[in-house]
Amino acid sequence: MTRLFLDEHAWTTLEAAMARIIPTDADPGAPEAGTVDFVDRYLAGPAYVYADPSGGEFLRLDERRSVAWMRRIEVLRERYHNGVAELDRRANELRRTDFSELSEEDQDLVLGALEVEELGPPDTRDPVMQRPVSDRHLGFFETLVLHTRQGFFSDPAYGGNRGRAGWRLVAFPGPTLPADANEEMPGPRDNA
Amino acid sequence: MLVLERGPWPEAADFGADELANVNRHYLTPDPDLNPRTLRSSTSTAAVPAAFSNVPQMVGGGTVHWTGLVPRFQPSDFRQRSLHGVVAHSSLEDWPIDYEDLEPYYDRVEWELGVSGRAGANIHEGPRRRDYPCPPLPPAPYTERFRTGCEKLGLSSFPTPSALLSKPFGSRPKTVVHPFIERHGDPTATKSTALNTFVPAALATGRVTFQPGTYVHALERARDGTVAAAIFTDSEGRNRAQSARLFILACGAIESTRLWLLSGLPDASGQVGRNLTLHEFSCALGTFDEPVFGWMGGGHIARSTLDFYETQDDRGFIGGCHVFASGPRSPWPINFTVPASPLWGAAAKNVDRTLFNHTMAAAFLLHDLPQESNRVDLDPEVTDDWGLPVARITHRMHTNDIAQAAWFAARCGEILAAAGATQTWTFPITTITGNASHQHGTLRMGTDPERCVLDSDCRAFEVPNLYAVDGSGFPTGSGLNPTLTIMANAWRVADRIAEAARR
Repeated sequence: MTRLFLDEHAWTTLEAAMARIIPTDADPGAPEAGTVDFVDRYLAGPAYVYADPSGGEFLRLDERRSVAWMRRIEVLRERYHNGVAELDRRANELRRTDFSELSEEDQDLVLGALEVEELGPPDTRDPVMQRPVSDRHLGFFETLVLHTRQGFFSDPAYGGNRGRAGWRLVAFPGPTLPADANEEMPGPRDNA
Repeated sequence: MLVLERGPWPEAADFGADELANVNRHYLTPDPDLNPRTLRSSTSTAAVPAAFSNVPQMVGGGTVHWTGLVPRFQPSDFRQRSLHGVVAHSSLEDWPIDYEDLEPYYDRVEWELGVSGRAGANIHEGPRRRDYPCPPLPPAPYTERFRTGCEKLGLSSFPTPSALLSKPFGSRPKTVVHPFIERHGDPTATKSTALNTFVPAALATGRVTFQPGTYVHALERARDGTVAAAIFTDSEGRNRAQSARLFILACGAIESTRLWLLSGLPDASGQVGRNLTLHEFSCALGTFDEPVFGWMGGGHIARSTLDFYETQDDRGFIGGCHVFASGPRSPWPINFTVPASPLWGAAAKNVDRTLFNHTMAAAFLLHDLPQESNRVDLDPEVTDDWGLPVARITHRMHTNDIAQAAWFAARCGEILAAAGATQTWTFPITTITGNASHQHGTLRMGTDPERCVLDSDCRAFEVPNLYAVDGSGFPTGSGLNPTLTIMANAWRVADRIAEAARR
């Protein structure tokens, strides 16, 4: 896929970070699913906010909604710009190299430190029923995790979840198009 | 009759099985920057913008995204003050009507929607004149787990009455049951939303016109105190006025109150905006060795128990909740959350892989007590994109609410454990987030104009040609899903209006 917004360095850095967030094992991970393509498309502007339910194209937003989305996307662009710089800053502090050049272990160290700084140590957090669904008020680390999940599990129309890799991982049937409801469900079908 | 609808008039083709758009990017619900609300916990704290109690603003309203669980209220819901007396720090009140007054209208709405259920399955239900029009929906694996858990604990359970058609009904086909129903629009046009039932029925009379894209921002009064005209901005941005003999508010309890206040309508009782109740969804989550497919039916297919619904003296709180089986809070992959799972890395991926199809909830709706201090007013600083003050919510949970939520979360955990869950987490509630999208109170109905805004026919005491037919008239919110009762009450009010017109 062609790059729409991210520069090459940001693309490489985010792809490396996302590869640690949903790593590749026996099943595809973030790189195979194209999660960075997803973020690139999202940051490109309000033309890519809502997939047309009947397939392919994106919905055109009215003027007010378009302006509101552009404002939010500009905030996200800045968050990513600063976030990529912060990953590199920490990588340079650790090994005098950029984040994408670090070993996987070192990348995990950098991401782990960022996580603790933003959210506190994992064992001090209360279990939650629902993690945040909106990216409006998150720090960079939590945004990156949420967007990696979104790119991995959202409809392929948004640029990620390539080959339905995310849905396959969790054995979720998913629709063929957003407009297609899925009537095939496993499990009992008898009346109660 | 002219329906001035703020939002669009959507078609089935506008809806998609798209978690990202609907859950993460508020496709159906108001834009949080264009049309915000603000929230604070008391009059001494600052209100902050919040996406609070979101409901679709469009023709079809809340039924567009609803789960469609449509139990009737229990007879006790109408007599909470008589049953409990005065409760400290609560404005608990009886309804001015009884279950019997609504029963004929419950029946009509059930047969208009084509509700799937079985009479008598809920052993606690009030009297009903006939069975449901459609048999219960087929169970899902997670509802079967819930049934097993209840059986092991000696609890009764029943298939939750549902606004999905389990069989063809009238001219409508059976509902296509798919994973993206709750919080999504219905691309198959087979769910019993207002778009697929009441709206076409209303149009067929030839006496109703819907005007989407019209934002009513004031009701203008004549010298005699009646409403003379609705002032609105049309879809081209022009300000216009519509006169009528009679006006009916149906914007939801928060926005109806906001319009009341934006219009400067009278408030001699001082009760406008007060006694707001909101429910709140919470649950216990459990994981199972066998798959339970929490996304099946998108939480639509459900099973309930009302064995805990009525007050018991030994619990230390009054009231009870609707307890029901459901998928996880979000049963779709992006927003699927297993508590205490790491956020990222190989272990997090493994949690998704192994538990996504193995996690379900036993959920409850908080039966929150009305309080005068829980209210809607106009935010003095924050305006919407049209320059009008937004609704400010002031809300703090009653100690009874907190005790009730803790008790019910624990019972839900026990049901899951009895059903064979290998691990459970319980989620008490200490702050309302508006996650149920249920709104009641704010324009309380009753017989005493000094303590109520609406009379028992939902007509404003001080504005004789103004009615409200959403949840705003509800003196108490119950612990059950409210939309069936909102519809039944609206039909009752419509009959009263027609009778008055004939006199």
